[in-house]
Amino acid sequence: MPGILIVEDNRELREMLKESLIRKRFTVQEAENGKDAIIHFKPGVTDLVVTDLIMPEEDGLKVIMTLREIKPSIKVIAISGGGKAGPASYLNMAKALGADAIYYKPFSVNEMIGKIEELLKIEQPL
Amino acid sequence: MKQEKDKTDLHSSLEFLSREKYYADHIFNNSRSMISVIDRDYVYVKVNTTFCKAHRGMADSIIGKSLSDVWGKETFSNSIKHNIDRCFGGATVKYEASFMTPQAGKRFFEVIFRPFPSDAGKITHLLAETFDITDLKLTEKIAIEKEEEFKKFETNLPIGFLRCRPDGRIIHGNKAFLVIMDCRSESSLYSTNLRDYYAEKEIFDMHVEELADSKPKSFGRVPLKTCKGKEIVCRISGFMALDESGNPSYFDFAFEDSSRELMLENRLLEAQKLETIGSLAGGIAHDFNNILATISGYSELLIEDLPGHSPLSEKVSKIQIAVNKARSLTNQILTFSRQVEQEKVPVSVYEVLRETIGFVKSAAPPSITIRSNYRDKQKFVFADPTQLFRVFLNLLTNAIQALEDKKGTITVTLAIEEGKKVRGDLNKVIVADEYILVTFRDTGRGMDQSLLRRIFEPFFTTREVGTGSGLGLSVVHGIVSEMDGSVLVSSEKGEGSVFYIYLPVYFDKARKPALHGRKKKLLFVTGNRHESRILSLGLESAGFEMTQSSEIKHFNKILAEPKTRPDIVIYMSEAEQIRIDDLISSFQKCGITPPCIIICDSNQDNSGEKLVNSGIISQQLVKPVSLKEIETAIQLSIKR
Repeated sequence: MPGILIVEDNRELREMLKESLIRKRFTVQEAENGKDAIIHFKPGVTDLVVTDLIMPEEDGLKVIMTLREIKPSIKVIAISGGGKAGPASYLNMAKALGADAIYYKPFSVNEMIGKIEELLKIEQPL
Repeated sequence: MKQEKDKTDLHSSLEFLSREKYYADHIFNNSRSMISVIDRDYVYVKVNTTFCKAHRGMADSIIGKSLSDVWGKETFSNSIKHNIDRCFGGATVKYEASFMTPQAGKRFFEVIFRPFPSDAGKITHLLAETFDITDLKLTEKIAIEKEEEFKKFETNLPIGFLRCRPDGRIIHGNKAFLVIMDCRSESSLYSTNLRDYYAEKEIFDMHVEELADSKPKSFGRVPLKTCKGKEIVCRISGFMALDESGNPSYFDFAFEDSSRELMLENRLLEAQKLETIGSLAGGIAHDFNNILATISGYSELLIEDLPGHSPLSEKVSKIQIAVNKARSLTNQILTFSRQVEQEKVPVSVYEVLRETIGFVKSAAPPSITIRSNYRDKQKFVFADPTQLFRVFLNLLTNAIQALEDKKGTITVTLAIEEGKKVRGDLNKVIVADEYILVTFRDTGRGMDQSLLRRIFEPFFTTREVGTGSGLGLSVVHGIVSEMDGSVLVSSEKGEGSVFYIYLPVYFDKARKPALHGRKKKLLFVTGNRHESRILSLGLESAGFEMTQSSEIKHFNKILAEPKTRPDIVIYMSEAEQIRIDDLISSFQKCGITPPCIIICDSNQDNSGEKLVNSGIISQQLVKPVSLKEIETAIQLSIKR
């Protein structure tokens, strides 16, 4: 099954996402901040990354940029609960950096999983 | 001894008399005045040395000449002769005149003609004395000029100058003082005492005490009261002058109106405070959204885990409704702290305002009059129209609540202001050449200063606990600030309130850019014409072709006709004429299932929840929704 990396500093939310994705039989790795995500990123295992944007250490925008450099085909879903960096919002910047989908917290996890399946199916014709 | 002294005196007197003629000649010739003796034929018979020097001639060359020869015929007949004639009539004549002198050009003189009677008492000659008063005149002129210069300075500067007696009675006040103090005229000032202009009289007494050492002092900002009773703040400096015997003679004061400066400072302070609260509240809202996402996610997992018709499902969907309500709250906080996502499009303020007023009018009691005056209908701003709608709706709702006994008038005005003027009014960097100024004026109960200072703070409310979130005006502040606009308010207890919304103009209607490609057809199913028109305005600007329906027959007609058949349907949960079941059966009849988004109130039971789960409705949104959210939902639904 495709591998998904969850980058989220909020432990409860990360565990919820992990449980939801494991149910759908995805292989799940997790990181609690941007720095961890970048250090432990395994290009051969991870097909899609779900990342929060505002996090300690490296933020989500840095994660998107770095992972895209290492593996350009990687799919990205950005999630955020608000917060702004200057005049442009984080989610808009994530979009500009090429996030395939963006979600405002709180979001429907089923809807997000639907999106993940859609994104990964296109890339992996059987 | 005495005799001896008398002898000496007599001797001196005789000697003096013998030398009298010598002295007289000496005085005559060495006087600094020009002295001459003139006979009845207007001829000089004697002139002194000073006269000769002034005329660059010897006495002989002047004596025997007529005045007409010396001064010229014209001068003589115009300004000399009649004075001489009067003198020969027996009067001493004194006047001032200016003459051109060969030595020093134009000089000013004081001329005195004295009758010079002969021993027989007949006036045969006159004695003319001419003093050069040019230097005196010059000094006088400089003094007048100096005074005029000072007057100008005193009149033109916006600083009030005031002189008063030691007890405060006013002696003199300049124009600026009259203006600062709203006084009608300078004369009305004289009957007043400076002490009366002080808001706190003790401060005046303190100033007088401070100035007792007659050194000039500045007192900083002092609250004063004008003639009309208006409260102002002035920077005051003063000085006490002493008279010759060292007693206080008068006080001089300078007044600089710093009310505006103070107001701007306070406004800056308020803005900074709101900014701090904003980032704090925004941070909390952000953390809350993380928690809500966890709750919402687990409740979704829980629904999956429950068997098909478990009685627990209902309880879990209630958790989800609660999450949605909380989300709407965090969204409002984020809006205030300007951390919410907004999809901005060019939008006509006039259209949104008109729709909002229409919406409020239909809901407001008839005892309330809402007047509107649109001085512009062409200008667009760059905004999320649903957010703009919230701004206007909030302000109108507040205005209605401010009216006592639900009676009164609300006046809404839309006008255009020049950017330069806005900069002056707001004291902030302007981002556009023109601003739209929307003013909301109510005749309600008004607010006092302490209330005014806090109205934009989140969770601040004058209503009873539990009846309002206290987020209304903070949301207004957030949305308007996000648009690079400003909100100002002025109010007085019992006098009603005025809210001023400044929004930078994006462009004129004439410059509206054309949209490319085939527009997606969007059908709005709604019971509420006004609110959905706001949304439709925004979506239209974002490039959709909009149709609205609030009635089932009309709706079916649109569905049946291939030309009008929508690419997407948005259903507002308050649509009374079309129920959600009608919607679904119509879809089935026509054999089509366009993506359908449902928008419901946060306090409503989530009717769409099950439908979303069953896949008939593709997305469900909870009010307040932003244009951005709807657009994202549309994009996702269409892709599916």
